[in-house]
Amino acid sequence: MNPSFKFLLAVLIALEISFTSTWIVNLALAVIGLLLILTSRPTFKRLILLFFVPLIPASALAVAILLQSNAGIHFALVLFTRIYAYVFVGSAATLTTTVSDLVMSLEQNAHIPSKFAYGFLGAFNLLPKIVSEVNIIRAAGNMRGQALHIWSPQLYFKAILASLDWSENLAEAMTSHGFSEEAPRTYFKRIRVRWWDWLVLIGSLVLLQVALFGFHLQ
Amino acid sequence: MKYSNAWHLRDIILLTLIAIFFGVIYWIVGPVYNLLTVALTPVGLGPAANDILMGIWVMAGPLSGYVFKKVGSATLGEFLGSVVEMFLGGQWGASTMISGVVQGIASELGFTFTGYKRYDWFSLNLSVLTTTIVTFGWDMIRNGYAKYNIGLLIALFVIRLISTWIFAGVLTKAIVKLLDRTHLMQTQTR
Repeated sequence: MNPSFKFLLAVLIALEISFTSTWIVNLALAVIGLLLILTSRPTFKRLILLFFVPLIPASALAVAILLQSNAGIHFALVLFTRIYAYVFVGSAATLTTTVSDLVMSLEQNAHIPSKFAYGFLGAFNLLPKIVSEVNIIRAAGNMRGQALHIWSPQLYFKAILASLDWSENLAEAMTSHGFSEEAPRTYFKRIRVRWWDWLVLIGSLVLLQVALFGFHLQ
Repeated sequence: MKYSNAWHLRDIILLTLIAIFFGVIYWIVGPVYNLLTVALTPVGLGPAANDILMGIWVMAGPLSGYVFKKVGSATLGEFLGSVVEMFLGGQWGASTMISGVVQGIASELGFTFTGYKRYDWFSLNLSVLTTTIVTFGWDMIRNGYAKYNIGLLIALFVIRLISTWIFAGVLTKAIVKLLDRTHLMQTQTR
């Protein structure tokens, strides 16, 4: 499926189930999400994490509803399944799409200005460097006997200074490789919107409405 | 001082990098959130962990609003942070992006109400207030906060306000003060 359409669908589904309270639909969405995740052949560790990590907020919300309100077990179940639907539908989109495919699709199909698309892509590719930079900043602090915590302004300050430096370098590098902000571009890899993308998008949303309405009436 | 509203390649990369830094930091916060939630769940106060840490999650918004001083920069910064968090494997899946937009618009409102003219302690506090109110409203729908008894609801709101004020207010101000002293931002943002 076209990446832009896929993410649009995931967000629309998440938005819709935020306002509805039908746990069967949430459960069905989670199962569909899980099946899609399985097609991407995730590692066993990832799969275990996917099951257990949402368990924490999901049970926190459900227990809180049971103990702190009189909304009852049905609503607790709705909140519990809602979290799983969010995570599995979201992961079904993120695990089956690469960031560069999504960005290219957003540029070509959703017509986001190319400076945003490539600026984002360029920065995103620095992700491993950023993770190591956070560790370097904390290690450098420790060497001076200065522990940098999540509430230390220095941690963020140094991170922003590094960002300033890298953004300047990266922007210059891109410009010197011939990237210009307003110029029309040709594409090495074309990402098309096909008729079945529309069909899946509209079809899924219609099905969701029918399911929600049907269970609502019961 | 007048600031240009156009986004250039360098600004976009810088904004994304800052967002990624925050995304990575949010990701590091994840385990803290889990521990806190697990500790509070047996007494039915699990959601309080969300409110206690809320400030950390909404920091990218006011900070990018303050750093870039452009229309939409707070929303964009917060949204990109959430996208990064989602790709890193954050806990909330697809709803992370929606939360990102909600939190971004929420903190943006503080700057909108001052017409994007004031970037000082007042607009930052206003941003803290709009962030708390709007994100709390969203949690009333999404996380079922609306069903809690009124005492807990008020307690959660106050916890969230304090957390947001400490991180998105006081800490953001401290960071911006450090940045101002370097004189790097003035040439960068104009």
